[in-house]
Amino acid sequence: MIQLVYNPHWFYGKDIIIDIVSIFVLFLIAFFSIKFYKLNKRNKNYLFLALSFIFIGCSFIFKIITNFTIYYHVLETRRIGFMTFTYNAVNSSHILFFVGFLIYRLLMLFGLYMLYSIYLKQQKSNIFLISYLIIISTYFSSSTYYLFHITSLFFLVIITYRYLKNYKKNRDSTTKLLAYSFGMITLSQVVFVFVAINTFLYVIAELIQLASYISLLITFIMVLRHGKKKK
Amino acid sequence: MARKRSRIDIIADMLSSILDKGGEIKPTHLMYKSNLAHNQMKTYLEELIEKNCVRKITKNNHEYLIITNDGSRLLEKIREMKEFERTFGL
Repeated sequence: MIQLVYNPHWFYGKDIIIDIVSIFVLFLIAFFSIKFYKLNKRNKNYLFLALSFIFIGCSFIFKIITNFTIYYHVLETRRIGFMTFTYNAVNSSHILFFVGFLIYRLLMLFGLYMLYSIYLKQQKSNIFLISYLIIISTYFSSSTYYLFHITSLFFLVIITYRYLKNYKKNRDSTTKLLAYSFGMITLSQVVFVFVAINTFLYVIAELIQLASYISLLITFIMVLRHGKKKK
Repeated sequence: MARKRSRIDIIADMLSSILDKGGEIKPTHLMYKSNLAHNQMKTYLEELIEKNCVRKITKNNHEYLIITNDGSRLLEKIREMKEFERTFGL
C-alpha cells in the first residue's frame, strides 16, 4: 500500500498549525507587496513577489485540506477497529490525497518558479518550457514526492543565493535575516527529502519550516519599522 | 553614473524636503532642495496639491507650501516601500 503520511501519530495536526502560521506570513507579505505595487506600478516585481507568495500560501491551504482529511480517516478507523472498514476508509481518501497533493505541489512549484524568475529574468519560451517540466514532473513521475522536494530545493537554493548576494551588497540586518529565513526554508526541503528514512525527520523539517517563517515575519516587521524610522 | 529618479522618488524627495524644513517651505527652496526644474516641479506640485498631500498658504506676503497629514502618511508608505524593495532586491 502507498504510504499516505510520513509524520508520527503524535504529530498529527501539529503540522497543520505550522502550515497556518506559514500561510499567515506569506499572505501578509503578499498583501503589503500589492499595496506597494499600487504605489509604484512601474515596478512589476512587487506584483510578481505578491503572486508567488499567494501561490505558495494557497499550496499550503491544499496541503492542510488534504492532510486534515487523511488524519480524520486514520483516527476514525482506529476508534472503530474493524479491519475491512479501515481498508475502505483509507482507500476513499486516496483520491483526495492524490488530487490535493497534486495541486499543492503544482502551486508550490509555480510559486517558487515565479519568485526565482524575479531574480533571473526568463524569456517567454523558457517560461513555457519550465512550466511544462513542472507539470510533467509532478503528474507523471513515479517518484513524485522526491522530485517535488528536489525541484523545490533547486529553486530555493538559487533564491537564497540571490538574497545572500543582496545581503553582501547592502550589509544590514534585514537583508541578512531574509537570507537566513530562506536558508532555513531551503534546509527544511533538504530534510523533507529524507523523511522516508525516519518519520521523526518530518517533525524536524516542519519545525525548521516554522522557524523560517517566524524569521520571515520578523524580517518583514523590521522592514516596516526601518522604513518608518528612515529620514 | 546615478540612475534617473522615478516619479515616486521625486515625490518622496519633495515631501522629505518639506518635512526637513519643519513642515513648511517656500516653493523656490523646494525646487532647489529637490533638484527639479521649474516646469517639472509645477507638474508634481499640482499632483500633490490635488491629492491633498501638500497645501499652499500665505504668510507675511510670502507663499509657503506645507505638508499635510496625508502627505506625511504617503511619505511613510514610500519609505516602507523603498525598504521592502531594497531588502527583497526587487
